[in-house]
Amino acid sequence: MREKLLRDFAKLHAAKPLLMLGLTLLLTVLLGYFSADLRTTMRWADLLPEDDPRTIEYNEIVNEFTAASSIAVVVQGEEHRIKAFAEFLAPKLRVLTDPTDGKSLVKRVDYKQEVDFIRNHGMMLLKTKYLKNTQDIFKDPNLRPFLTNLNNSLEKEYVGKSESISGREKEDRAVDFLDGVEFFVASLQKAISYEGIEKNNIEHAVERILLGDPYFMSYDKNVLILNVIPTFTAVDMKKVMVGVSAVQTTLDKAIMDYPDIEAGLTGMLPLVHDEVVYSEQSLGYTSVIALIGIFFLLAITLRMWSAPGLAILNLLVGIIWAMGATAIVVGELNIFTSMMAVILLGLGIDFSIHLISTFSEFRSLRYSIENAMVEAFLKSGKGILTGGLTTFAAFFTLVISSSRGMKEMGIVTALGLLMILLTTFIFLPSLLVFRERRMERSFLKKKKPVKPKDVSFKSLGMLSGFLGRKYGFTIMASIAATLIFGFYANKITFDQNYMNMQPKGLTSVVLQDTVLERFDLSMDYALILADSPDEAREMAKKIKKRGTVAITEDISLYFPDHEAQVARAEIIQGVKARIEESKVNAQLANHAIDDIVQELNRLEMNIMEMQDLAYLGGQDKVDRKCTEIVGSPNQEGQPRIIFDLVQKIMQNPELAHAGFESYQRWFAPHFKTTALQMASVSPIELKDLPESVFDRYANETRDKFLLTVFPNNSVWEDLDYLDRFTNDLQTVSNQATGMPIVFIALIEVVGKDGRNAVILTLIVVFLLLWFDFRNPTYALIAMIPLTVGIFWMVGLMTLFGMQLTVINVMGLPMVIGIGIDYGVHVLHRWQTEGMGKINVVYAGTGKAIFLTSLTTMLAFGSLMFSVWPGFASLGSAMFIGVGACFLTTVLVLTGILGWYERYSYRQEVKDVKV
Amino acid sequence: MKRILANALFFWLVLVISQNAEAQTGNEIIKKVNDLMNQESLFSKSKMLIQTSSGQVRKFEYDSWGRDHNEKTLIRYTSPRRAKGQAILMRNNADDIWMFFPRTNRVRKMATHAKRQKMEGSDFSYEDMGSGDSFIVDFRTTLLGTENVGDESCYKLELKRKSGSSSAYRKILIWSSKRDFHPLKMEYFENEETHPTKLLTLSEIKIIQGVPTAKKMVMQDLLDGTQTELLLQEIKYGVRLEEKMFTERGLRQ
Repeated sequence: MREKLLRDFAKLHAAKPLLMLGLTLLLTVLLGYFSADLRTTMRWADLLPEDDPRTIEYNEIVNEFTAASSIAVVVQGEEHRIKAFAEFLAPKLRVLTDPTDGKSLVKRVDYKQEVDFIRNHGMMLLKTKYLKNTQDIFKDPNLRPFLTNLNNSLEKEYVGKSESISGREKEDRAVDFLDGVEFFVASLQKAISYEGIEKNNIEHAVERILLGDPYFMSYDKNVLILNVIPTFTAVDMKKVMVGVSAVQTTLDKAIMDYPDIEAGLTGMLPLVHDEVVYSEQSLGYTSVIALIGIFFLLAITLRMWSAPGLAILNLLVGIIWAMGATAIVVGELNIFTSMMAVILLGLGIDFSIHLISTFSEFRSLRYSIENAMVEAFLKSGKGILTGGLTTFAAFFTLVISSSRGMKEMGIVTALGLLMILLTTFIFLPSLLVFRERRMERSFLKKKKPVKPKDVSFKSLGMLSGFLGRKYGFTIMASIAATLIFGFYANKITFDQNYMNMQPKGLTSVVLQDTVLERFDLSMDYALILADSPDEAREMAKKIKKRGTVAITEDISLYFPDHEAQVARAEIIQGVKARIEESKVNAQLANHAIDDIVQELNRLEMNIMEMQDLAYLGGQDKVDRKCTEIVGSPNQEGQPRIIFDLVQKIMQNPELAHAGFESYQRWFAPHFKTTALQMASVSPIELKDLPESVFDRYANETRDKFLLTVFPNNSVWEDLDYLDRFTNDLQTVSNQATGMPIVFIALIEVVGKDGRNAVILTLIVVFLLLWFDFRNPTYALIAMIPLTVGIFWMVGLMTLFGMQLTVINVMGLPMVIGIGIDYGVHVLHRWQTEGMGKINVVYAGTGKAIFLTSLTTMLAFGSLMFSVWPGFASLGSAMFIGVGACFLTTVLVLTGILGWYERYSYRQEVKDVKV
Repeated sequence: MKRILANALFFWLVLVISQNAEAQTGNEIIKKVNDLMNQESLFSKSKMLIQTSSGQVRKFEYDSWGRDHNEKTLIRYTSPRRAKGQAILMRNNADDIWMFFPRTNRVRKMATHAKRQKMEGSDFSYEDMGSGDSFIVDFRTTLLGTENVGDESCYKLELKRKSGSSSAYRKILIWSSKRDFHPLKMEYFENEETHPTKLLTLSEIKIIQGVPTAKKMVMQDLLDGTQTELLLQEIKYGVRLEEKMFTERGLRQ
């Protein structure tokens, strides 16, 4: 039945090639139209099972909190320049629109604290204990008493109290405090220099001390971040591509006016955008490399140019069909399936090679076109069909996977293979018929005989024949090699480091490291949803005590609980009364300069002691900030701004007196006004919070609140640390999500899916082969090179220092799909040729397998050039895996066939004797 | 009935006596541990490795003197250059702590609760370093049984904080060697935690002047996942130390 069908189909091609070509064209146009709509998403979360609670939570956060998927513009340069640039850039970003629909792309640009809110509720937002210790600062706006109060507060809160700077939050607060002192001292220096008094500068000094630096700056003040909050989420890939490009273009234009600074984009959206762009580019050129490689390989080995061209043309048409079918069935490509073109190149070229190879073989034996096609269909068609459908089934079994990534991988690859299988039977034979007819016509014209070419691999045949005859040696050597590779295979480890999956050198990736280094803030934070601000606050309080947590961010930063507000209000009342009582003096007392000098000396000593404590305690950020003010005891000649100020005062006390008096004229009133504003005792209600705070920490319906938890270390460098971080998160919520959690979940799910897929695929393949060969022994024999090949593959990977990754683990079921063909083709041919012809089998079919292995290795090997380490790891694994399967088909299978032939022969002899 | 009552009385007596015996044994052992750990006076040179907030490892060297069974402890940093001369004085089993800063030539008294704080970025607290006979004063000890630490058979002691004690630890578990009573492992439990928050491992026990002494101590903070290594380089027991050394003036010298 199958033979009749194949024979009729071959004859149809020989008789009506135009009809088949027309049909191909029609289908190509139709499916090509659909393939235009195929989109790629590079979100890791899209690979997880849709019903996984971590995926549900992650998607809910991404969907409801636009702030959770922002675009971070990282600006680097001198402090005043990057601040000016931020002011220049922000308005341009705010008005960005989508050129396709004219809708706004940017909801908000955050690059400053909520200054007005802090100004109006500043003291209420300070921690009660901190407020208690530092309240003196606010009490007198005049310069001399302010300096005394500053020292008092510093001594109460920081000096001799290592606890006050221990822990990330406290260390940050101490750095902010010192930053204010530094700015204030610098402004005093200006006041007594000949630069003159600047009202703005003095008012800034007041605000830096009382309110802190409003900009989102790094500790060293050389990096600034603008968070562009988009109107869309990471789920809307079309908008992501347009939005990120628009921000990048605006940034590129703006930076032309500021050539002294550097800026780039990072954050979730730029990463997703860059990954899509670079993976597409990368897959584009790797596909071209693969195509060129395959073409030349076939041309050289088949010693002809046109047939390889036809094979590639067939493959390209097949890929268009596959993409169209994928667009209809799945709709979009994910990280795994984005490689479908290269995967199909590797898998699909085999069909063409087998068909062309056999067709050419019979044409070289002077068969007519029709008869050669019939023989090719009969001798190779069966193998192609069985191999193709087996591979199709092998991939299709992946639909039982729990992860969406693996499931879609199964569907897309199986569908793609089916499409290429179809083109190989519908399109390629007609092309071959046309080619042969053209060659015949050329022969008739030129009266030159078409030289038959023997394209079989005699040497491969001879080697295989030898190995078959010496089956004892072959089998023993195979067992020894398998034991060695098996030993190493057992040692393979899984690379759980997400950073190793990210393309190296991409701006968005590099800037992630910049943020980590300069802000000491990992962008691999965890996200937790709370049902109320109180719940978010409680969770934040609890999680902050855990050892792996650096800081948390949630709405409670702007909304303290009722008890805290009451306690603070009590302190604020007292402070407020003192501020109100205080008088702003227009003049400095005569002896004030001496007092100022004394207080400045005290200030320097206090900061030195704070610095010494920070050094002993390992609080590097505080130590560095102190060094900026009082120098380092290790390095002579470093600037000591307080000491220098005192020196200047001593050099000319009269000038200093006059300067400070003018300074106080601006300082004291602004200080008093600001301190009074901050001393508001009216309780903060939820409704009082600014919109931007809600946008950042609450969803649109204001019934879900986001808690962001930043780890105090890089989660990827030490996996025990990542485990501890996730365990710490579990103590407050079992629904914590975020990139680290998603990736760990993915490894878990993909690892499990991969193992299940391998087992299930092997079972399905065995059943199919049993059905095909009608003999379980043959099915088992056909599977031996594949099974052994898997051990060799993983063993070789270990020996080459490779690890399994979340991407290359896909290679295992793929190698099964590919490798099974080798055994099937050899066994089919061996059955057809009969006993004692192992050399003939391998000279013909072995050659085809050799070629298909090389082309597949080339196709996948091209991925090694990808900038995407994930793709490169798959390329390397597949290169090794396919090579291993070819070697086992030649080295292991020949021994088994040799033994089987001898065994059958002895059985027959026995039977005859009986 | 009488017989039953007599039996019950007998078992009750046995229970009480055995509990007392166990309590006494626990107390005896902790006293031996305490005496061993807090010699009359000592001088030592040590090396400590801490991890900074930027993730770097910093090495300190210091000299320390203990007097009156470590009721008074003085620590003076000798290396690196930046820390040289800084000193810490702990008196009253670390209830009173002073610090000396050579750069400013000032002495600062630290807050009363400072003993619970980490000592200079290490995973040891001031209490761990200078609490003297706190095991006896601040805790009630029970012998839980015997357990091996590595190959060494140890007494497992449970120390529970007495009410009114200023210790930061609710409970401490100590495994002390049956051979010489030197602790080999200690687990510290803080207030709300049901699991130990810190783990101290003592190793390389050498007999110095007849006193078993751990040359290496590793304190692990089980919550933070950090650890501090303290290596004893030199130790002398029974050194003559003046009382005035453990005063504010002595701290400055």
